[in-house]
Amino acid sequence: MLRPRIIVCLDVQDGRVVKGTNFVGLRDVGDPVELARRYEEEGADEVVFLDISASHEGRGTLLDTVRRTAEVLFIPLTVGGGVRTEDDMNALLRAGADKVSVNSGAVRDPDVLTRGARLFGSQCVVASIDAKWMDEGASGPGWYHHTHGGRRPTELEVIAWARECARRGAGEILLTSMDRDGVRTGYDLELTSAVADAVDIPVIASGGAGEAAHLRDGFTQGKADAVLLAGILHDGLTTVTELKSALEGWGIPVRPCAAAGEASR
Amino acid sequence: MSRQTRPVEVALFDYGAGNLHSLAKGLEAGGARVTVTTRWDEALAREALVLPGVGSFGAAVQALAGSEAQVREALEAGLPCLGICLGMQLLFDSSEESDGAGIGLIPGRVRRIRARTVPQMGWNDVEPAPATESQAQGSGEPLFRELDGMTAYYANSYVCEPVDEADTIAWSTYGHDRFAAAVRRGRCWGVQFHPEKSSAPGLRLLENFLDEVEGS
Repeated sequence: MLRPRIIVCLDVQDGRVVKGTNFVGLRDVGDPVELARRYEEEGADEVVFLDISASHEGRGTLLDTVRRTAEVLFIPLTVGGGVRTEDDMNALLRAGADKVSVNSGAVRDPDVLTRGARLFGSQCVVASIDAKWMDEGASGPGWYHHTHGGRRPTELEVIAWARECARRGAGEILLTSMDRDGVRTGYDLELTSAVADAVDIPVIASGGAGEAAHLRDGFTQGKADAVLLAGILHDGLTTVTELKSALEGWGIPVRPCAAAGEASR
Repeated sequence: MSRQTRPVEVALFDYGAGNLHSLAKGLEAGGARVTVTTRWDEALAREALVLPGVGSFGAAVQALAGSEAQVREALEAGLPCLGICLGMQLLFDSSEESDGAGIGLIPGRVRRIRARTVPQMGWNDVEPAPATESQAQGSGEPLFRELDGMTAYYANSYVCEPVDEADTIAWSTYGHDRFAAAVRRGRCWGVQFHPEKSSAPGLRLLENFLDEVEGS
């Protein structure tokens, strides 16, 4: 039986995790390599690095960060931010990413999804969609895809865009509700289930997680295959272990966290 | 968990795309010395061959570039091998994914997984097949030593269908599709999941493989 996944997202800029974390006992709370390892030990099923570096130098640093992470992280690593071409994808995969997420790059050139899938396999290609509700969107009221960290609206209605990404070869959709991002009132279940119903590839719900019940609802009502978390973990409000324990109590068949000591190497 | 004895010399074949870094590090953690190579003569000259699980069947067949008979002969002659995901699929005759011949060590074909949501992406069970009579007298399949109830990471749209069910040493179920999670013929193993992405149990599996190589 396939297990619903908990994915931890780290925002990385110039080789450093942007938002501080409250982990106790870390040598360097800003080091993405050490944090990723720590989340694997806690029971995270995957890790995402979202690179928000603007500069060219930052991109080079990212490849080095990915390389160092892949040496010590033995769960899947997705890397996104600024990916435009199949060459960008290849550089990240060769450095040690297992999947690459594409956002603005796919809006500008949707065929990059197809080329990436053909070269590396669909399972490497994640379409990242930032959805925001618009009363007056290009095709009437609805959720519209936004680029540039959610700042720039597009004319792409989210359900149709998700379908197109899947048709073009994406193997997964990372669906972020910009309306819920950081609010901690729960995932946008209506949005998530609408996209999950519309495509036949896995959907990751993102934006809005505040407590374990939100994850449960994301899986059940939102029909998400995976949920993405950031703030509530980084701020030390809860742990992956605690969340999985609560989900197990509700009968959600998450992957059990490693027994104490098992994850130590 | 580093090995007490000398490192095992492992060739990791590079089809030219995707992440080989984690797998190389995982093998090294288990006590291997890894050579990444794009040349079959070099790949077949080490103590063991690992076929990684990144890319598409068509691209990997291109990398075989007519060497499939040579690779098959080396494996039939006893070169220990571990095929991972696509690398497992490459051990078979052909694939629905694209034209071209695989290595053909294990009779059978590779077909698309039957489920609503494809690819299968995430952690799923690895259920060792019931032991045959001869195995039951031994200590079970060595690849899964101390890995009862293992959950592993899969990322695949295709699965292997061996002609001979005895080639399947573990099963898994996705949706209503029951498929071979692992196969074995002689000293050649294939796993549909990614041990290098399956945390501590996955690293243990790589170590078990290296133990078998060393014991051979």
